[in-house]
Amino acid sequence: MYDAPISETRVTQNEMKITARGVQVFYGEKQALINVDVDILDHTVTAFIGPSGCGKSTFLRCLNRMNDTVASARVEGEILLDGENIYDKRVDPVQLRAKVGMVFQKPNPFPKSIYDNVAYGPKIHGLTRNKAELDQIVEESLRKAALWNEVKDRLHEAGTGLSGGQQQRLCIARAVATAPEVLLMDEPCSALDPIATAQVEELIDELRASFSVVIVTHSMQQAARVSQKTAFFHLGSLVEYGDTNHIFTNPTDPRTESYITGRIG
Amino acid sequence: MSLLLLLVAIGVFAIAGFVLGRRRALASVQGNTRALHSLPNYYAWHGAIMAALPALTVLVIWLIAQPLVIERQLAGFFPAAEFENDSQRILLMADVRRVAEGLDTAVAAGTLSSDEAIDIRTGGDASIREILGSVGVALGAGVTPQVLEAAQAYRAFASKGGALRNVLILLVSVAGLAYALRITTGDFRARNRVEVVMLGVLMLASTIAILTTIGIVLSMLSETIRFSSMYPFWDFVFGLTWQPNFQGNSQLGLLPLLWGTIYISFVAMIVAVPTGLFTAIYLAEYASPRVRSVVKPLIEIIAGIPTVVFGLFALVTVGPFIRDWIAQPTGLGTSGSSVMTAGLVIGVLNIPFISSLADDIINAVPQSLRDGSYGLGATKSETVRQVILPAALPGVVGAILLAASRAIGETMIVVMGAGAAARLDLNPFQAMTTITVKIVSQLTGDTEFNSPETLVAFALGMSLFVITLCLNIFALWIVRKYREQYE
Repeated sequence: MYDAPISETRVTQNEMKITARGVQVFYGEKQALINVDVDILDHTVTAFIGPSGCGKSTFLRCLNRMNDTVASARVEGEILLDGENIYDKRVDPVQLRAKVGMVFQKPNPFPKSIYDNVAYGPKIHGLTRNKAELDQIVEESLRKAALWNEVKDRLHEAGTGLSGGQQQRLCIARAVATAPEVLLMDEPCSALDPIATAQVEELIDELRASFSVVIVTHSMQQAARVSQKTAFFHLGSLVEYGDTNHIFTNPTDPRTESYITGRIG
Repeated sequence: MSLLLLLVAIGVFAIAGFVLGRRRALASVQGNTRALHSLPNYYAWHGAIMAALPALTVLVIWLIAQPLVIERQLAGFFPAAEFENDSQRILLMADVRRVAEGLDTAVAAGTLSSDEAIDIRTGGDASIREILGSVGVALGAGVTPQVLEAAQAYRAFASKGGALRNVLILLVSVAGLAYALRITTGDFRARNRVEVVMLGVLMLASTIAILTTIGIVLSMLSETIRFSSMYPFWDFVFGLTWQPNFQGNSQLGLLPLLWGTIYISFVAMIVAVPTGLFTAIYLAEYASPRVRSVVKPLIEIIAGIPTVVFGLFALVTVGPFIRDWIAQPTGLGTSGSSVMTAGLVIGVLNIPFISSLADDIINAVPQSLRDGSYGLGATKSETVRQVILPAALPGVVGAILLAASRAIGETMIVVMGAGAAARLDLNPFQAMTTITVKIVSQLTGDTEFNSPETLVAFALGMSLFVITLCLNIFALWIVRKYREQYE
């Protein structure tokens, strides 16, 4: 009677991780996001799709207050992480970003060794007491990012010397090492070849076991493959949000259908 | 025809080449520019270059060669012994040239007709002096008949050579122009030729700097070697006293000056490096665009103030302040001139160099690295310390090095701020002096370059060069060792 994959059933039992209500973002005079309401569940992959400039990356950057680094940006509305408003004055954005990690569109490893790249987060947050613990975190993170076997013999070589796909997995390992609760990914595969993309997608599915993942993507196939929940943005508004299966097979809004079938983009 | 007129003629040919080359290229394809290999302007430039460049090259070679040839021709007028001696020959040739030019000037001014100028050899030398004196050419010693004869021969050679030169150059220019026009067709690859010439110009420009450096080093080296033949070289390098004495018996020890240089530069860098670097970090990472647009130009104003003015500031304000409020109360010194004064002021002078360069370098670090660090929950200062500065290190070291070179080479502020007394002392409130100051003081006044007291200036210059070279090598090593390269 009910023939959905196991992950689908688990979604319904998951708790709310992030709740966004009435989020509006302005860059100077220009409004980039209009009244966005989204609930992001724990241990779930949520995909944001939509045409370029629709505000999906902007919204993603609201979730860990990366928009703070843009001088002209202004955010209204409220975003609750575990019931606490992250735009509250008492919240330290630095601490928030340790809980809500981020992986960027273009791989951006630091010009340091592979080891130091991964150890960066644990070091600045004091997550370890000694070198052995740090070694362990580095190894675990690299294993989680499916990079350990490729780099274990050259941990002290420069991270910038890796290939594009390896660099992006290094950046994921770097984010994982900080032990975040939510991992935001801004088109993490757009600079990668199909093989590296497949590796990263597989990785995203595994990471779901540890925390909730939010991914912005231009590839609808990718959204369909990796996510359980999908949100469709268009012209700064959230058009439709629901189970991935539902959005891709039976969209409610005509705009969503047009985008998915390739008529607008 | 004078040199200027010749250059104008070459210019006219070049313009003709420009116009004709373009016209001929267009005519060869009936005005259809798409049928040309290169854009029409390349044919124009090719015409101009072919008309001017070979002619100018020949001209330069001629101008260098002609005096040498004439000099050899004139050797017959003088006793061989006099002409063998380098310095005597130079003096003689200067006399000859002066008389010859004087006669030319007199002819040009109408005091003499050209025939009279040639026949003047019959007159006594007093009359030559008077005639030339009346047209503004003063002759030093009496003109010997030999010199006069040589001068007449010089004039003859020069006018013959000049005529020959003009004909040759104009021929070369016309030939170049004709050649360029002959090979200009629609298929001719004018663009590639012009690019080769551009490459040549760029290479020439870079060679000039290198050749100048080599020239400076070689000239200092030869004078240093002369110095070491008059004064024991190791006494210079390891000497602990600096006491030049123009009557002889000087003690020319490098170490007090070297110590002063290093000490003052060290104090300057202690002031300039942290201040400049922190300023750069503030401007690049923390300041709002509005603050930055005001503060950065304000800081850079310092770089535009002449160092003499800084010297005055050191002499009148900083020196007395340090003496009255720090040195005297602590009993460390009573002199207004001190290492501290000069070091502080040079340091302030160097702040904008470091801050401005480092600011540009920090800004060049990609934003994606900052985002990556912030995205992991790093604070601004953690990001600066652990990501941005390591990535910017090579450039920052370069900026510091530039400031250090300036501090080492600074003269005016040292004279006015630290004095001119060579001394080996650890006390920063004592007057000391540097290598550059002593180079100036050894060479000012009426001196001849034949005593160790003056030649030591070249040895000092050489040691300065060696110091900055070592500094460069050291900085390169630092950069290689700690560089973190971003893409």
